[in-house]
Amino acid sequence: MTRDVLARLLADLAAKRPAVLATDLASGEARLLHPSDPEPGGDPALLAAAREAAARDESARVEVAGATFFLRVFSPPVRVIVVGAVHIAQSLARMVQLAGYEAIVVDPRRAFATEARFEGIPLVQEWPDEALARLGLDRRTALVTMTHDPKIDDPALAAALRSDAFYVGALGSRKTQAARRERLRAQGFSDPALSRIHGPVGLPIGARSPGEIAVSILSQIVGALRGAPGSERAGA
Amino acid sequence: MTSEALYHEALLRLARAAAGAARLDAPRRSARRDNPLCGDDVTVDVRVRAGRIEAAGHRVRGCVLCQAAATVLSGVAPGRSADEIALARGALAGMLRAGGPAPASPWEEFAVFLPVRDVPSRHACVLLPFDALLDALARAED
Repeated sequence: MTRDVLARLLADLAAKRPAVLATDLASGEARLLHPSDPEPGGDPALLAAAREAAARDESARVEVAGATFFLRVFSPPVRVIVVGAVHIAQSLARMVQLAGYEAIVVDPRRAFATEARFEGIPLVQEWPDEALARLGLDRRTALVTMTHDPKIDDPALAAALRSDAFYVGALGSRKTQAARRERLRAQGFSDPALSRIHGPVGLPIGARSPGEIAVSILSQIVGALRGAPGSERAGA
Repeated sequence: MTSEALYHEALLRLARAAAGAARLDAPRRSARRDNPLCGDDVTVDVRVRAGRIEAAGHRVRGCVLCQAAATVLSGVAPGRSADEIALARGALAGMLRAGGPAPASPWEEFAVFLPVRDVPSRHACVLLPFDALLDALARAED
């Protein structure tokens, strides 16, 4: 890898831009590919292979036009956006960080979203639709709503359903979920779209305390990320 | 109190009407207030001429109560002075907190908030647009 390629790769990592380093195993020559934002003039077959590897988040050895390449995937960190700076969010955000993901807590209610309650966790004290438009929801993003307040949860879920987020969850009882679905349906979301929402949220492990509920939610997020069997939505 | 009694039809209609729910072009005075407990976030713009409000506009991110209060306020504010706004705010607070009568004309539409009397935690939602407007009036034009 040349110094120039390394510098560009480091810039990609800093900017959280997905990148694939393709090394020609015969010559050792390495080039950097951007599956989501390809440079013009690249080899379309190699780019397609890189895109596939990036989607799987798995490095791979591929044959393209008679040459063998090693594709090393550099994915931006998985982000878990928690809407609602509530008690469960305090546990969940810390567990998300321990799992190696990025945690972001969004809540326009300044009395809840305080540094003292969320030490070391990035806090966004804005309305979710504005905050999420700025943060950008991509296929490496999970979102969970926790406020129990429709004026805050609903716009966050609407933004998540319009995005490629790999996981959308909403805290609340079955009754709350039914009322929520009705409101979102009235906003024009179809049943298939609404079925993306995990709610009641989390894996059924009998969780009771805030920490246990956080474990059940984080487990479901990991399952969705890794495509684990049995991690499908409850009732789906 | 049931939520139907609190969020009665006249109030929901006002929240939906969202009259005056647009920011004003400059020159204007603006102020923003939020309620840290429930997330209501109000920005109020006013244009003042000869000590009286000429035009008022607002932007509310918040609950039905806050939206409805902003709608009523933006409707009645034009033509009033800062002192009249402060008096009306006092009358509204007295109605909510001390069981006082609904504010007198031209503020009588605030009677729609009478049921909020019984829910002290929501008084701030109704008063927030007034507080933002008073802040804006105390500022210089941009």
